[in-house]
Amino acid sequence: MSRFFRGGSDSESDEEDEIISSNEEEEESDDDHISDSSDEPTSKPAAGAKSKFLKDAESESEESDIDEKREVKSAKDKKQDALESSIKTIENAKKINDWVAIQNEFEKLNKNVSKSFGSIGMPRVYIKTIASLEDFLNEALQKEKEKEAKKKMNATQAKALNSMKNKIKKIVRQFEDEVERWRQNPVESEEEPDEDVDIEKPTSTNHEELSSNEVPDDEGFEQVGKGKKPIEFTSDNLFKKLREILEARGKKNTDRLEQIKVLQKLLGVAATPYQQIRVLLALIPSQFDYYPGMSSYMNVDMWKSTQKEINQLLTILETNLHFAIHDLVEEEEEDDKEPVIEPGQTYSIRGSIVSFIDRLDDEFTKSLQNIDPHTTDYVDRLKDETELYATIVRGQIYFEKNDLNESTSRVIMRRLEHLYYKPDQVIQTVENTVSQSLPSNLKSSITPPAITQDSSDLIHALCVYLYKKGESLLRTRAMLCHIYHHALHNRFYIARDMLLMSHLQDNIQLSDVGTQILHNRTMVQVGLCAFREGMIKESQSCLQEICGTGRVKELLAQGLQLQKYSQLPPEQEKLDRQRQLPFHMHINLELLECAYLTCSMLLEIPAMAAAGSNPEARKKVISKPFRRMLDYNERQVFSGPPENTRDHIMGAAKALAAGEWQKCQELISAIKIWDLMPETQKIKDMLGRKIQEEGLRTYLFTYSSYYTTLGLEQLSTMFSLPVNTVTSIVSKMIWNEELAASLDQINNVVVLHRVELTKVQQLALMFAEKATSFVEANERTLEQKQAVGQNQRDQQRQKGQTNQQNTEKRTMYQKRDGQQQRSRNNFNNGLGNSVRGRIQQNRYRS
Amino acid sequence: MAATYDLTPKLIPYLDRHLVFPLLEFLSMHKIYPEIDLLKAKYELLAKTNMVDFISMLYKTIHDTEEVPKEFATKRDEVLQTLENLQAEAQKVLDIIENPEVISALRQDKLQNLNFLKEKYGLTDKMLNTLYQFGQFQYNCGNYGGASDMLYHFRVLSTDHELNVSALWGKLASDILDSNWESALEEVQKLKDTIDQKNFTSPLHQLQQRTWFIHWSIFVFFNHPKGRDSIIDVFFTPSYINTIQTACPWILRYLTTAVVTNKRKKSILKDLVKIIQQESYEYRDPITEFIESLYVKFDFEGAQHKLKECEKVLSNDFFLVATLPEFVENARYLISETYCRIHLKIDISGLSQTLNLDQEAGEKWIVNLIRDTRVDAKIDFKENTVIMNQNHTSIYQQVIERTRGLSFRSQILASTIEKREAHQSASTTEAVE
Repeated sequence: MSRFFRGGSDSESDEEDEIISSNEEEEESDDDHISDSSDEPTSKPAAGAKSKFLKDAESESEESDIDEKREVKSAKDKKQDALESSIKTIENAKKINDWVAIQNEFEKLNKNVSKSFGSIGMPRVYIKTIASLEDFLNEALQKEKEKEAKKKMNATQAKALNSMKNKIKKIVRQFEDEVERWRQNPVESEEEPDEDVDIEKPTSTNHEELSSNEVPDDEGFEQVGKGKKPIEFTSDNLFKKLREILEARGKKNTDRLEQIKVLQKLLGVAATPYQQIRVLLALIPSQFDYYPGMSSYMNVDMWKSTQKEINQLLTILETNLHFAIHDLVEEEEEDDKEPVIEPGQTYSIRGSIVSFIDRLDDEFTKSLQNIDPHTTDYVDRLKDETELYATIVRGQIYFEKNDLNESTSRVIMRRLEHLYYKPDQVIQTVENTVSQSLPSNLKSSITPPAITQDSSDLIHALCVYLYKKGESLLRTRAMLCHIYHHALHNRFYIARDMLLMSHLQDNIQLSDVGTQILHNRTMVQVGLCAFREGMIKESQSCLQEICGTGRVKELLAQGLQLQKYSQLPPEQEKLDRQRQLPFHMHINLELLECAYLTCSMLLEIPAMAAAGSNPEARKKVISKPFRRMLDYNERQVFSGPPENTRDHIMGAAKALAAGEWQKCQELISAIKIWDLMPETQKIKDMLGRKIQEEGLRTYLFTYSSYYTTLGLEQLSTMFSLPVNTVTSIVSKMIWNEELAASLDQINNVVVLHRVELTKVQQLALMFAEKATSFVEANERTLEQKQAVGQNQRDQQRQKGQTNQQNTEKRTMYQKRDGQQQRSRNNFNNGLGNSVRGRIQQNRYRS
Repeated sequence: MAATYDLTPKLIPYLDRHLVFPLLEFLSMHKIYPEIDLLKAKYELLAKTNMVDFISMLYKTIHDTEEVPKEFATKRDEVLQTLENLQAEAQKVLDIIENPEVISALRQDKLQNLNFLKEKYGLTDKMLNTLYQFGQFQYNCGNYGGASDMLYHFRVLSTDHELNVSALWGKLASDILDSNWESALEEVQKLKDTIDQKNFTSPLHQLQQRTWFIHWSIFVFFNHPKGRDSIIDVFFTPSYINTIQTACPWILRYLTTAVVTNKRKKSILKDLVKIIQQESYEYRDPITEFIESLYVKFDFEGAQHKLKECEKVLSNDFFLVATLPEFVENARYLISETYCRIHLKIDISGLSQTLNLDQEAGEKWIVNLIRDTRVDAKIDFKENTVIMNQNHTSIYQQVIERTRGLSFRSQILASTIEKREAHQSASTTEAVE
């Protein structure tokens, strides 16, 4: 602690002591004083009103303490306490000859003493300590010399001893008189402090609690020693304290909790808006810093107080328009003065509110990630989201007013991320609560209250702002959120068009993982939307990419996949864990799988039937996971009644393949998870209709070779579809050349022309196809090679101009040889394919 | 009904004032909207142009008076004054250009020409721009022929790119209004090239330009005899079909009509069906629905109903009214073609009903159809049915078809490799040296 800061108050210390002790005696009656004294001006202590001011500040700090339900020791107590404890430690260390501890403690002692007592009027205890230390030191040095030959002190101890020697010398010289006096009459001098001790004992109720906060400090210099003199937290010396804390911040062994407490107290003392802002700007980040690890999360109470403080900061800024917080402002040198503000001008303070809000939001997410979602804790925590949302909205309005575009975009993105996945009602409730909680004079121009009534309008407004103003990442995310929202509201076409027109899918692989996850979520939601709307094919193609991988959990960040051969490095796993979405944002995976498999069934079963015995066509798989499950299911010797969703769908698929559409329908509608979808009955009806249609198609594919004609009427009764629909389905199949048949209008029958191909014919066709693909593969290879060759030649030409022609060229040729080899391999692959094909043909022939 | 499917309100935002006028004329002829509303609309439309005489006439009809506000008179004078001034200025330029000596001296290169004229005849950029202004003014006055000429001259000489594009648009509009379809078609082509080649600062701007272009070009495409080929060619290029899908799905009506009435472009039908299906949530009218019920739902009765509606819609559409008989004829072809492909035996009376014809006419129609060898079929007169001959391609034919050309392709491949090797060895020796 530099003496410079203390300069002004040194002379006051004696007076202070008196005041404090008088205060102490009156402590019970102090409450009455507070009401009087707190009304008095506090910001500008005139020289004459010093004592009054001090008293005032004291009472104010007490006031804040009362708020926090915590009693604070008087300054006197603390000082005394600190002194005693230091001295005690020194005594202890002396006994064991631990010079390092002595040195540390002595430094602390010195600092405290010089701070609180100044150079005059040193407490006698202190003098006594110095004197005894000097003696001890001399003794030790003597010993040292004697046993030098025998046993050396360890290096650090020796070093500490030496530095102590110098220090003691200095100090003793400083207090020469006092030390001398003490040496002459040790007993008398000791009487005086005893009085103090007597007085303080009854009042010091929480000595232990506070002193426990004191941590022995190795470096010590920056230690603020909060417990020692809270009385001096006045608005006057606030800036100094603040600076001390800021300097200590981030240093090793700084007690963060203590800092936070000091800052909170400072906040209580802060009188002017400027001071409050300054303290808040220090307090909020230090609270965030308290939990440094990426995995641990802020505890809920601290989070709440931080949130309140951010709100407070915003309130101050809203009411005091002449202050503005930017992160572009230069850090001023003269921190300590109240700035002079000319009317009409704004005073800029360095800081970034948006980063506070970001951090607050992140901490909220983190806590949700860590709380078990099946407990009431989670629900309780989730309730805080409304308040967080209110803070975000408030921040947005503030940024808007101050034209902080970048911050506005960021905060709007936050807001959007709290909204996009929620159903209308929730959004509306939240919006209503928030608009009530905000002061009525705060109105956002981007989201006027009229818009917030309708969730779609609100999201539209937010997104449009980001499209216009945001940077590209925010634009992408906004777009994805917007699409998600549309999909959630069953506006499939709009969502699809936005997805296609934005060309997001082209370069989503290049973006960061978080955005990719959002993209995956969006794709899944679009797929589910298509499913709800009865667009089976679209739904399947949307879900395919994500459900087909078998890593759904991972892709949606809804839990870590347990991989069989997982060799993820721990850091990777940690990162993955951080990306997990909180439970309330999850998309139900079982429902997702169910929808995907149902879609696959409706597409795959007719396709398999159409492929019939044609092995080539059979190979064209629409949905691999579905096929795999079906195969697995078919291989089982006994299959019991369906238990889970998959069983149901597999059973349904088999029934559909056999033409038993009714059984299929029953199985599908027995799946319980459909209840999670809105309008369950509608979806079941839709699925029933689809099953009828696909059943008809499957039936026609499967049995067409066994009939010459099929009555349309009969088909219509079999699948309980109207004749018109049957006709239309059959016509479509004929038109698309899926079914070799034609309609006989006179007899109302389908005439089937299907001829089963003989084996030779089939093989001939297949061979022709193989040959074609072989030629194509060859052509492709050549094209590729030509392109590569061209590039190389170009490179060569360029490099030929450089000096290292020869070596370069040699490597080039080597490279090219390598490439030739590789392309030959490709060739072999091509051959390999066709060979494999031939083997297969043989197999089929035999 | 006529009003619900009327596209004029949707088209107007993308058209020039002068181009809207014929549409309004047409509407008033067909009495779809109340007369007085249309008159007012016309008045509003033209109030900002320089066709003062016509405006004052309109004013009289609307307000049913002989009194005309004084502004008209003053405006008229002003207009005449400016016209004279501009004409005088433009005349100077024209004198230079129309000089036979100059004409013979002009070359292909614009810049050179301009320099030549500047040096020899004292032509300035400002004088050139008067040509443009005069053209614009004439256009505003309704003298489209004159405007077209002026803009033509301007374009030949000017090197200013922006003004050139504007002149191009102006000339297109003048030609359209002058019913000069030949040159309009040329302009359309030029304009399309300009739009496609120009680098637009934002894709949105390009989209806008394309949308405008699509709307303006409909005038030409449905009036020029070859227009219906070009409309398909132009609108089916990816960039334009995208524009239609994003900005103006109603153009699908015109595109559909063009495809249906075009006998040679049947192959495009599949694409069209796909697009119509895709856009059906955004735009549908009887014409697209007709295609939808025929090719998506295979609902022939529905198609027939839609065809009847189509007739009404077409007769009330400014652009399509002329194509009505052709459309109906071709639509019938499409229906019967699809019908025949799907069916083996067809009841003639049923088909006739589907085609919206009576029994006898239906039979005639089918006979014609068979005679034109569009379908391979016979009529069983006794049972009053048509029997289609199914022709399957045999397996042998399929194999032959699939393998045809393989050997040729392999040969090409071999020769390319040979060439490559030769080249490579040459370059190797070169490198060694």
